[in-house]
Amino acid sequence: MELYKLDLYEASKGIKDRKFSAQELFESCRERIDSCEGKINAFITRTDNAEPITENPYGIFAGVPTVLKDNLCTNGIRTTAASRILGNWKPPYDATAWKYLREAGAVLMGKVNMDEFAMGNTCGNSAFGPTHNPNDISRIPGGSSGGSAAAVSAGYVPFSLGSDTGGSIRQPASYCGVYGMKPTYGMVSRYGLISYGSSLDQIGPFARTIRDIQLVMSVLAQYDPMDSSCFREKNPDFTHHEDASIKGKRIALVKEFQNFTLDAPIAEAMKKTQKVLEENGAIITEVSLPVVSKYAVACYYALAMSEAHTNLERYDGVRYGYTVNDAAGIKEMFERVRSYGFGSEVKSRIIAGTCLTEPSRCDEYYVAATKVRTLIAQEFIRAFGECDFILQPVTPSLPHKIGEEDEDAMKGYETDLYTLPVNLAGLPGLSFFTGYDDSTKLPVGLQLIGPRWSDSEILNAGMILERHLGSPKIADGGVK
Amino acid sequence: MSELTFTPVIGIEIHIRLKTDTKIFCACSTDTDAPANTNICPVCMGLPGSLPRLNHNVVEKGMLAGMALHCTVQPRSLFFRKSYFYPDLPKGHQISQCDLPVVADGYIEVHDAEGKLKKIRVNHLHLEEDAAAMHHSASDGRLEGASTSYVDYNRAGMPLGEIVSEPDISSSAEAVEYAMNLQRRVRYAGASDADLDKGMMRFDANVSLKCSDGRWGRKVEVKNMNSFRALERAIEFEIKRQKKILQSGGEVLQETRHWNDAKGVTSASRVKEFYRKFIVEPDLPPLIVNQEWIDRVTAMMPEMPDVRANRYVHDMGLTQEAADILTDDKATADYFEACVKAGANPVRAANWVRTEVLRVLNETQKKISEFRVKPEVLAEIVRRVDDRKLSTTQAKEVFDYMCANDCVLDDVVKKLGITEGGVAGNALAEIISNVIKANPDVLAEIQSGKDTKGKKFKFLQGLVMKESKGQAKPQEVVEALTAALKK
Repeated sequence: MELYKLDLYEASKGIKDRKFSAQELFESCRERIDSCEGKINAFITRTDNAEPITENPYGIFAGVPTVLKDNLCTNGIRTTAASRILGNWKPPYDATAWKYLREAGAVLMGKVNMDEFAMGNTCGNSAFGPTHNPNDISRIPGGSSGGSAAAVSAGYVPFSLGSDTGGSIRQPASYCGVYGMKPTYGMVSRYGLISYGSSLDQIGPFARTIRDIQLVMSVLAQYDPMDSSCFREKNPDFTHHEDASIKGKRIALVKEFQNFTLDAPIAEAMKKTQKVLEENGAIITEVSLPVVSKYAVACYYALAMSEAHTNLERYDGVRYGYTVNDAAGIKEMFERVRSYGFGSEVKSRIIAGTCLTEPSRCDEYYVAATKVRTLIAQEFIRAFGECDFILQPVTPSLPHKIGEEDEDAMKGYETDLYTLPVNLAGLPGLSFFTGYDDSTKLPVGLQLIGPRWSDSEILNAGMILERHLGSPKIADGGVK
Repeated sequence: MSELTFTPVIGIEIHIRLKTDTKIFCACSTDTDAPANTNICPVCMGLPGSLPRLNHNVVEKGMLAGMALHCTVQPRSLFFRKSYFYPDLPKGHQISQCDLPVVADGYIEVHDAEGKLKKIRVNHLHLEEDAAAMHHSASDGRLEGASTSYVDYNRAGMPLGEIVSEPDISSSAEAVEYAMNLQRRVRYAGASDADLDKGMMRFDANVSLKCSDGRWGRKVEVKNMNSFRALERAIEFEIKRQKKILQSGGEVLQETRHWNDAKGVTSASRVKEFYRKFIVEPDLPPLIVNQEWIDRVTAMMPEMPDVRANRYVHDMGLTQEAADILTDDKATADYFEACVKAGANPVRAANWVRTEVLRVLNETQKKISEFRVKPEVLAEIVRRVDDRKLSTTQAKEVFDYMCANDCVLDDVVKKLGITEGGVAGNALAEIISNVIKANPDVLAEIQSGKDTKGKKFKFLQGLVMKESKGQAKPQEVVEALTAALKK
């Protein structure tokens, strides 16, 4: 039996029941990686060359391999955020999310690729080259957490972690055909996540089943005093309830989004999913989100870039990462370090953020965006008074081929319309698998979003969808 | 043409180090004596992925400092990112409350040129983190010409309160009084040690001149003053410099100038101020202070020096001068009050503290907390003088001895051979009896009426005085001796 094909629940159970050892599982995953990685390029740093070390042989993840997006700090292991500017920096501490997984027994196989500093939606803006979609290696895996999605899709590991600032978990999950959860803002500690847009960033899991997403969430969703935005009185219940029901739940479509065109496979998936929901007792309804549909994209980029450019001010070559030793003065040092260290997408967002917060324009852009954000959050609160969940696409189209990026940068930004309002309002969002497109054989994903702190309810609904739409298969990863 | 006159318009920004054990956004120690770069962690080093978390003790000290300056606590305040690039700033931005501070709208009283009390309004106190300390290897320690710079991040993230005054100050003297008063009050409140030598209190001044012809000079920000003297000199220099420019019809540029203490001049800042902008710190939620918290901190507030001095004058009958001297330092005032509480007369206790105690402390360069004579003991000395058990001279003798030696009051009295309250009554009668017994011939002479000139009586009186070591009162000796001889 090929152990790498097991999901998290099965793998963990198999080890506990002594059907196989953690070592055997580890080796199977390593072989899978060895056979596909040449085609996929998901890794930035592999840590699977030694014996597997589990910190907790009795933990719920005991001996189960995982990978982390390379913007999550790992003690003593190179962490790059896919940027040249961090050089070979090895953090002296673990991100809280990784610490929780480690303490639950998970074994790290490596750090995976992403768009530099999580800026992008292709996993192509990386100092370590693009990652390829395991379902069709000529296509992008999506981004920015493309490496995390590809690794789960290709069967490298049963689950992984990514981060989502405007869709960076949900979009690659959808493109790669796995489940991806963006939790409620504040549900998972961000301590040790290299910040992009601090008020938007959230860490979340990728897996091939909803049950696995629930398992990972049950470990991630714990209070952490190291993150002041992580606030919660009690741990939510992510227990897998087989008998969960969506009977009587009102699931809404967004009225304004009906005017936007969707590629045929996505539109079809929407119809198919609504049918499954209705068959299971849910009521399909409609909500109106006029501010979201009109202003979310502009609001999002104004805020994300404003926060990003201050988050990236610390990369100056003085304390860590890439530096130069022969600069004539401090100004030259800063200039050279940042000019060489940052990639072009990061630079353009830093420049945009600097302009948006410049004293003469700050009120017109940054301050205005913070106000629009409040309106958007209020609009969602109102909408969730009329429905339980919102069903919508993750993207309007399937992943494009590598190298066929749209010349018009603004169009690239607009494809995020379906994902980024969720971050602006701090909502939870699940990207779920609906099946494979007949003609391209590519997986098609959709998104279910709910009010803040409804993460476990969304997953219950996701479980019913999985039961009727089917779970994704492991992609061939370019090898048969 | 009449002579032009100029009125200085001065505002002061004072940074004080708030007195907490740990830094403002992490758990690193605030110990200033630690070796360089030992009190650091991912947070105060601004490592990627690290997040600030607010130390609530810093908020409390900020509230205390604000209350000491008659400020009002703001129920909601925010933190911002203040951006500039420099190696002393680990994140490339400083986290500061800027314009939405935790406390606002206070004042400090100073004396104007005519000696009248005048209120200098305090706009606000906001919380922020300190930057790292830079050490440049150029000969004069300054940035210009330095070939190597060293950064000590122990100071990064130290908690600061920046206190911003309104431009109500009209002279360097007022500025210094404002600063000294502020220092005394925040020390009283326990909010800051405000130790200038340790860089725990730093001054920036905004100086401009209003000319009698209606012209108003631009505001010049003078930085880098680390002592009251430097504050005074820098302001005076700047007033003179701007006056000269305005007198010659020139224009004062709005700029930042640095005070060079060694040369005694201000000079235009050659280090270019980096362009600054603020966004809300997304990693810290708004700071909400509820009434319960305000009440708790209010209860921690000690009586302020001016209120205390007033009480000394009105309730204890001290002079204003004595009250001011005693309340200058909280520990001294506490010592004085402990004396009074232990039963000493306030006026005499005040005299003892301001003359004797402060003299000895000054001579020995010690703090009152290390002082050997505890307030209860001083109170006892004062009381014994009042009860005439000790003469003033004896009391000072005892006090001096106790300042220099670890000992108990009664032992010192014994050791110095002092019979408290002098020799009288039975003790005196006993001495007299012994003296008479030892001189039967003299007794006989007196009793036979031969001592017409009283010489023999004086002889016996002298012996009694000698036996009592001079501690008997002459009048009492005469009376008792006369009575004894009649028996």
